[in-house]
Amino acid sequence: MSSLTSLSAVADAIRERKLSPVEATRECLARIERFDARFRAFITVDAPGALAAARRLEAEAGRRGPLHGVPLAFKDLCFIRGLPTSCGTGNFEYFRAEQDCTAVARLVAAGAIVLGKLNMTELAMGAFGDNPHHGHARNPWNPDRCTGGSSSGSGVAVAAGMALGAIGTDTGGSIRLPAGCCGITGLKPTYGRVSRAGGMALSWSNDHLGPMARTARDCALMLQAMAGADPLDATASPRAVPDYLAALEEPIAGVRVGVPENFFFQGIDAEIESAVRAAAATLGSLGAQVREVRLPDPQVVNDVTQIVSRSESAAIHAGPMRERPGDLAPFARARIELGLRVPAFDYLQALRLRARLARTFSREVWGEVDVLAVPVIPEPAPPLAVALEGSLEEITARHGRFSRLTRPFNGLGLPALGLPCGFSRAGLPLAFQLVGRPFDEAGVLRLGHAYQRATDWHTRTPDLA
Amino acid sequence: MSDEKFQKAEVADLLGVIERLAGELSLAEEPSRFIAALESDAPTPAPGSGSAR
Repeated sequence: MSSLTSLSAVADAIRERKLSPVEATRECLARIERFDARFRAFITVDAPGALAAARRLEAEAGRRGPLHGVPLAFKDLCFIRGLPTSCGTGNFEYFRAEQDCTAVARLVAAGAIVLGKLNMTELAMGAFGDNPHHGHARNPWNPDRCTGGSSSGSGVAVAAGMALGAIGTDTGGSIRLPAGCCGITGLKPTYGRVSRAGGMALSWSNDHLGPMARTARDCALMLQAMAGADPLDATASPRAVPDYLAALEEPIAGVRVGVPENFFFQGIDAEIESAVRAAAATLGSLGAQVREVRLPDPQVVNDVTQIVSRSESAAIHAGPMRERPGDLAPFARARIELGLRVPAFDYLQALRLRARLARTFSREVWGEVDVLAVPVIPEPAPPLAVALEGSLEEITARHGRFSRLTRPFNGLGLPALGLPCGFSRAGLPLAFQLVGRPFDEAGVLRLGHAYQRATDWHTRTPDLA
Repeated sequence: MSDEKFQKAEVADLLGVIERLAGELSLAEEPSRFIAALESDAPTPAPGSGSAR
């Protein structure tokens, strides 16, 4: 097990000069060297760049920010000058941006070190973590099980202690699914809270960048640096960024936590249901008011969101697909072709409906509760071989089922924190998500932090030996 | 089912949902109201809290 237990612990140790940036970076690189051939978390490792940055930071008299000397890694759709950006395709130069990914640049400005670029499902289209070009990411808890996707490498790298934190992106669950399958914590912020500039788009309307790390506190530290307005992304909100770390310490007594009576517990694995209900009960024991709540039909949100995502992904990626068909595997090409079949009329109606659904959800839910507690994954990480077998129709249906509990909050744009809440009898992580009203990242992080102070699921690490 | 037939069926299912719901939309409902909904439903920040970039 790594001595680097969490991002927060390492940041504190570096600040207190008990650990140096070079030591932290060397330990991460050693773990990558030792384990990554087996788990395939990384597409590109920049050991020389990371060590050079660590030495520079170590030599500086002052601190650049709260992440001074902390080694992080980034999903391989974040553009970083000097490093390839494959987006999980067979082309290492698939995506170029005019400037570095804003979220990465802000983390680096806060003192973070770039270890490299992380594996992902091709073009971020997939819930299971497979990749035909760079090798399937493997779950550190059981390499035969899927990692969740699409930010598969982000989930694996953090769970296996190869990086203290990572950026993931989430269009239908791609932060929360790998966080759930790999037993770590991941936050999909509100739409517009974190700039999307410099990240490959899959769906402009549904893409979210967010932090993945071991704890809610780690995610708060990362979000503090990442969030805020950006002239390079018109959809990034100008709303002020709260002090997320200070908010963690506020009491949760009286917070109304809703457990949905419809949709989210239908047809899910019994161990997941039991663990999520136990997590809600734990929040109740800490002073939250837990109650049942009925939600406007989330399946309608899923359907509308799918139309928007499929249309936009086709508009974005059909050109490169036609020009360089060899860059993409058959599944990604088929998904793009599917989006080409959606008429513009229906795409625009879907966007109009999305606005109405968001207003309806807000009116009917946030008057009753402050936060929702719901499952992330409908079952513990399934065997990768089973997830990938069958026809396009069968695989697509499987993707839809696996992301049906996360996708509604992409369509609604709401902040959702995924965090571990137990283990199955087979030793696989179980997870739940805390969903808040728009821009209430502070609220879900506070509740998640309180839960993690009362439990130890997030401290457990896989035995990689 | 062939991949092409599947793609057509998949899209037809989703378009059916859109067609069923879109009839209820008023002329005033436009996509930008999504962002407006997010901003208006956000909790009010405490005075002096937070920072703008």
